[in-house]
This record gives sequence, structure tokens and C-alpha cells, in this order.
Amino acid sequence: MERTETYHHLQLDCGVELAAIEIAGRKTTTLEIRVFGGLAAEPPDRLGLAGIVEETIGKGTAEKNAQELMDAFDMIGAQVSSAVGRESMVFRFSCLPEYVEQALALQAEMLRTPSFPEDFCGVALELAQQELTALDDDPGELARRLIAPRAYGPLLGRHELGTRESLRRITREDIISYWRRHFSAKRMTVSAAGAVDWNRLRIATERLFAGFGEDQGGDRGPIPIDFSPGHEHHPKNIEQEHILFCWPGLSVADDDYPVERLILAALGEGMSSRLFTTVREQQGLAYWVSAWDEHPRNGGMIFVGAATRPEHVDQTYQAILREVERLEADWTEEELDRAKTGLMAKTCTHGELTRARAAELSGDLFYYGRPLPTDEKIDLLARVTLDDIRRYLSAHPRDRRCLLTLGPVPMKATG
Amino acid sequence: MFAHARPRADESHRLRHSVAGRPHNLASQGDLLNTKNSFTTHTLANGLRLVIEHMPQVRSAAGGFLVRTGSRDEPSELAGVSHFLEHMCFKGTANRTCREITLGFDRLGSTYNAYTSKERTLYYGWVRVENFAAQLELLADMMCSTIPPEEFETEKQVILDEIARSADQIEHLVYDLIHEQVYAGHPLAWPVLGTTETIAPLSRDRLYGYLTDRYHPANMILGVAGAVDPSSILELADRLCGRWPAKPPRAERKPPSPAPPGHLTRLIDRFQQQALVLAWPAPSETHPDRETADVFGSILGGHNSRFFWNIIQAGIAPNVAAGRVDYEDSGLMICWGFAEPDRAEALLEAMQNEIRRIISEGVTEDEVARVKNRIRTGLALEAESPYHRFGQLVSDIDLFGRPRPVEERLAEVEAVTPTRITEYLERWPMSGSPWLTSLGPREWPTA
Repeated sequence: MERTETYHHLQLDCGVELAAIEIAGRKTTTLEIRVFGGLAAEPPDRLGLAGIVEETIGKGTAEKNAQELMDAFDMIGAQVSSAVGRESMVFRFSCLPEYVEQALALQAEMLRTPSFPEDFCGVALELAQQELTALDDDPGELARRLIAPRAYGPLLGRHELGTRESLRRITREDIISYWRRHFSAKRMTVSAAGAVDWNRLRIATERLFAGFGEDQGGDRGPIPIDFSPGHEHHPKNIEQEHILFCWPGLSVADDDYPVERLILAALGEGMSSRLFTTVREQQGLAYWVSAWDEHPRNGGMIFVGAATRPEHVDQTYQAILREVERLEADWTEEELDRAKTGLMAKTCTHGELTRARAAELSGDLFYYGRPLPTDEKIDLLARVTLDDIRRYLSAHPRDRRCLLTLGPVPMKATG
Repeated sequence: MFAHARPRADESHRLRHSVAGRPHNLASQGDLLNTKNSFTTHTLANGLRLVIEHMPQVRSAAGGFLVRTGSRDEPSELAGVSHFLEHMCFKGTANRTCREITLGFDRLGSTYNAYTSKERTLYYGWVRVENFAAQLELLADMMCSTIPPEEFETEKQVILDEIARSADQIEHLVYDLIHEQVYAGHPLAWPVLGTTETIAPLSRDRLYGYLTDRYHPANMILGVAGAVDPSSILELADRLCGRWPAKPPRAERKPPSPAPPGHLTRLIDRFQQQALVLAWPAPSETHPDRETADVFGSILGGHNSRFFWNIIQAGIAPNVAAGRVDYEDSGLMICWGFAEPDRAEALLEAMQNEIRRIISEGVTEDEVARVKNRIRTGLALEAESPYHRFGQLVSDIDLFGRPRPVEERLAEVEAVTPTRITEYLERWPMSGSPWLTSLGPREWPTA
């Protein structure tokens, strides 16, 4: 079936950058509001503040108390969620198309006139302390928290839960101050996908965010990564040893990013990938082994992770390391084509989901400053050649690495 | 089979909360869910049941096989065999090596995997529609695994590692523990992964015997959802699966006789939290009360629920919820939470207070409408996704013997009222003693 998709992108007078993909035949709409700020914008002695703002901003407005606000979203069947990231926060909803303007009006009310009730601020801080306790029972997430300061540095390497000490220092005034500094129309992108009426969305967004934070700056500048190679072992009494290591990659906006993306797919995505084949299929060392990338706006970080029983930790690490170090070897047209096919096919399959399209569009604005149509993304992948792969791998040695192990035993060799 | 990588993300966003809701009047929005989808069902001569949903609005297709076997179908000494078998079905057939199977999927760009539960094993893939026939050929071939001996011991190590991984996840352990308590002596009590003691001595021949005994047409369902031509799928299915030998269906399952209510605690001091589960009998997967039970569970412990406002937002514990665990002949309404150990008493008391209050006061029209609306939006989102439609289709065939249109599922939800919930609580009382399971650094509560 031929699908009709229409892309829109506009800088509104109110300051909001608005984009949409109208997809014919869709019966839902998803909208994602991104506010620039995030963890990196926290004062250094108030770590965890961005997460507390994200948690409490929905706990009442000038007109509604917390439950009335949540009930109002429920009245129109809007499924609402939010999240905090290194350089931004996102607030999103999915709903039936005739409720988009009402849902957007509620989001605008929430973002523009939050009341941050004292009692809910206190509860959020208390719950964050308890979430830190819960984090200790989640070794996978704990390992990611522990490696982040080495991988990204003191700003981008922050965790949304902060620290026990910094959480204790946060006050309601800090929450309000963070909101005042970072929440404004000029620091927002709005991305919609699915059953979108562009004109109505444009008019509603302009009206709802007009004058929001007019006196605030519109700085959206990216923050550099501060990478520190090295090795840390964190002892923990658990059944498995977690191995995580990472090295710097490219920014999503880099011309060579599609090349890196294909290399990563060949390394660790899918059951025929190099890591899965070697570590799991051939040697049976680990149930979970994978590679993935993460991207602040100004760069990238490539991660490889595995968890294994302690008696296999050295063997697993060496097997992974061997694959990382021999990444230049044995490339064939078949492997490149397989990686391309995987990424291209998933733009079709996962692109069936309106929520996925809205999130992708929001990411496009964040990284490229414009919507990047699916055909353009596919074309960038299609043009990559084996020579590009070899050139990239030669120009980007993976010899400055950051390694973290979490579990009952340290590794013997970490070369 | 395959533990997914950490989701690719532009940033390290983590979902903090999601809420959904109410509207009294959304049901009147007539054609919002009318997707013009159509169902085709068919049974091959050998007994394999097929269900196909044509989705003209999409460009992809998802499909695969549901095998009606899981951990509850295992003898105790073979606990975990169904899950092990699921892994081994990726390891080779008479036509393909393990490498050829995974290469085959990845060359199609498939999103593919498999999982095992207490009652089912599901194999699936999701591809661009032009690759669907090739994907189905791979999946059908995998159902005739040779359980290659040379792969067996290596994969056994992977399974043992998966068991170790599960032992580090408090939510997995407490889920297993509540089953161990309620269904003591019945196979529903076995952990899906099995244990080191049952997996380590398992032989390849016993696994192969289990395969031939369970993987045959009468015990399987083929489902397809997406932009497919149903008639060509029927032809393809007949070509790929029509020669599979017919065998009688597996024996009927023995219904469980749940143990008397009581306490079961397990001290594991490496965890920092205490996990707590309360459980009461609830409707099975096909019981007419199931939708009422689910709406009730959502009001008690879902989004924008009693637990959310009165326990989480009271600062007692960050993760508390309620919902139904259901099987073909049994079900549980469970309330669970994770708290810092010195808050476990407060969490238990808060959960019991909310349960007492909802029993005595009932629920409001608004609360019911809110849940209905969340379901309605959820159904609209599900209707976009061949992958989710496939899962629903094979489940419907397994449980109801036919695909259920979205409109029918919505009508069942719309029929729930506060009065029905009151009546439900009379039929499925939560006022008596529950099963109580506690796991963590405290040996609490004592009997």
C-alpha cells in the first residue's frame, strides 16, 4: 500500500519550533513536546533536580489540583507520559485525533502554570530517595549509572535520580527556579505524528504558547562530552557480573553517522551479529550481550554490554574485546547489505506505530534541526559502501575505552 | 530467546509515569476503531489452525506460531524444558544450520524473537510485507527443529546464565514465589526458566522427545496480521505446514487446587528492598468476569488509581500496583509493591486499607469511565500495529477458538459498571485472608 505522508516544519511567532507528519489513514495522534534543559542544566549541588521538576510539574496548575489535572487528561482518553534526559525533557501524549487540541491545551496549562504544591514536592523528593534504594536492586541500570560520569563527564554523565545528599538540598524554590529558567516557548519543540490537521495544530500551538517565558533566553546550545578512559570495578553481591564498556562515537548529525550506525548493527544488533554469534551462539558465555549507541546533541557514545556468571567474566570480556578490536576484519558486501536491510526494514515496520514516528520526528528536530524524511534516511544508509566502512574504522580506532564491571569478582586482565 | 539491547535513545529518558483516562462519551464516537480489517480462519487437514487479519492500512506483516505448551505442561524433573526447547528451535533444522536461521531473519530485516510462558510458547517475526513469505518459511522450518546435538551443551550454558540473570531480579523472584505458594504441588508453581537443578542434567534426547510430543498441528496455531493477501497465506501455509503429521491434541490440563491462604517469606539479604505480594482468587482467562476484574484492578492499582494517590503519592513506596494474573483455568488478583525494608509494614497496611475501603465504598462512575477510556485509546493504538494484532489474534484463537473484533472487546469493557464491580467483589471476595508473599532482606512477616 502506498502511504501518503506530508511533512511540515515551522518556526512559530511564539518561539516554538513546530513539526508534524500527517500520515494518511492513521486513527491516532501522538505529540511530543521537548523542552531544552535536562540533567545538564541542574546546578551542580542540586543533582536530581530535573527529575523532580519533571515529576512535580504535573501535580497541579493555577486552575487545577493534581488529581483534577490527571482526570482532565483522562476525560479525553489521552495517554500521557514524560521523561527527563541529559539535555532535554519530553512530555508526550497519544490520543484520538479529535482530542488533540484539548490535550495540547492541558499540556500547555501544565507547562505554563504549574503550582508545584509543597506537599507533592516533598513527596517527590522522598520517592526519589526510595528510587535510589530500588536502583541498587537493578544491576543493569546501576552499571549504566556508574559508567556515565566516565563516559560523558560531570555534566552529561548525571543520573536523573541525583544523589542522596543533593536530593536532601533541593527545595521547592529550586524547583520553581529551574522551571523559570528553562521552560519557555523559545526552548521548546513540538512534534506531532499520525492523524494531524496541520493548520489547526499550528494555530493552537501558536495561541497556547504565545508569550510563554518571553523574558527567558532561547539558548539551546549543545554541551560537549568529557570522556575519561579507564577501568572501574564496583563490587556487588549479585549472581552475575555486568561488563560495560564504551568509546566515543559520532554525533547523529555527522556525515559519517550512517556509516557508524551500520557498523554498530553488524557488531551487536540481531542474532546474526558478530557479538551475539561469538559470545552467545558459539561459546554460550552470556544470555545478554549487545551493543548500542547513545547521543547527546554534540556527540555520541558506543556501548557494549554483557552480563555473565562470575566464572565466565574474563572469557566473556576477552571475547567481546576481540570482536571490537577486529572490527575492521572480514567485512563483506553481504554483511553490509544485511545491516542495511535491518535498519531500512525497521523504518517500515516500527514506522507503523504513530508513537514511534512522533518520537523520531522529535529526535530529528533535536539533532538535525529539521525533519528528516524517511526516504532521506534510507538513502543515506543505502549510499554507504565497504570503502566507507574501512575508512571510518581506520579513522576511528577504539583504543580509548572506558570499562566498568559490577559484580562479585574483579576481572583478572582488562587489556 | 533474545534479551533486547538497551533501547536506542536520543537521550537516557526513562518513563516516569503515564496516565490515561476517562470520558463518559467516547463510546459514541462510532467509527474511530473501524479499521476495515477482516479476519480469515481456516484449519488445515492435519489440524493446524490458521488465523489471518488483513490490515489494508499498513505496509508490513507480523506472524508466527503459538505452541500450546509451557512450563505448566512439564513434569517436575523437566521444569524449564519448554523454555529450553524454545531456544533450541533457533539452533538448526534438517534444512538450515543455526547460522542460516539467524542470517535468514536478519537478511529480511525482521524483528523476530520467541518467548515462553506457563501455558504457551510463541515464535514471531515482523517484516516488510514483501518479505513475509520468506519469513514464514523460516518460522515453519524452525518448528521442525532437529535439536542439533552439537549445539545442545553450549545453549544449556546460555540457559543457566539466564537463570542467574533472573536471580538478580527481585520482581522475577517474587513472581515465582507467589506461584510457588499459591499453586504448591501443581506445575503452575514451576518457574518458566526451570532451575539449575532441572536444566543441568537435562539431556538432548529428552528435549527432542518433548519436541515431538508437543510440536504438532493439533497443538499449534499459525497467526498472521498485516498487509497480506489471505488467500496466498492459506496456500503458503498449506505448502509449508500441510505435511506435518497429525497427532492427537495434548491431554487436558489438570486444574490447580490452590493452597490455603497463608504467609510465605524468603530471606534474600543481597536485595535492598522488600517485595510484597497479596493475592486472592480471580477469574481465569476466559471467565465472563475477566473484564470487570481488570477494570477493578486498574481502579485499585493502575494509573491514576487509589494506590497511586494514596500510597505512592503519600510517599510510602514508589512502586505499587494491582492487577490480574490469569491462566486458562485459574486466576489471581494480586497487589504488589517494593519498599525499603523498614517501610514494609507501612506498605502492607496501606494496601490493606485501600482494599478495605474499595470493598466497603465501591467505585465511582468516573473511575470506571476513566479506565474504559484508557482501554479505548489503547485499542486504537493496537490497531495500528501488525505485531500487536498478531499476538492478540493467536491468543484469541487459543482461548476463544475465534478472533474477536475490536468492537466486541470494547463492548465487553463498556458493559462494566460500578454495580458490576460490586457484584464482582461478592463473587470474588477480597475480604478474607490473602496469600501473602514477602521476599527481601527481612524474614517478615512471621506466620
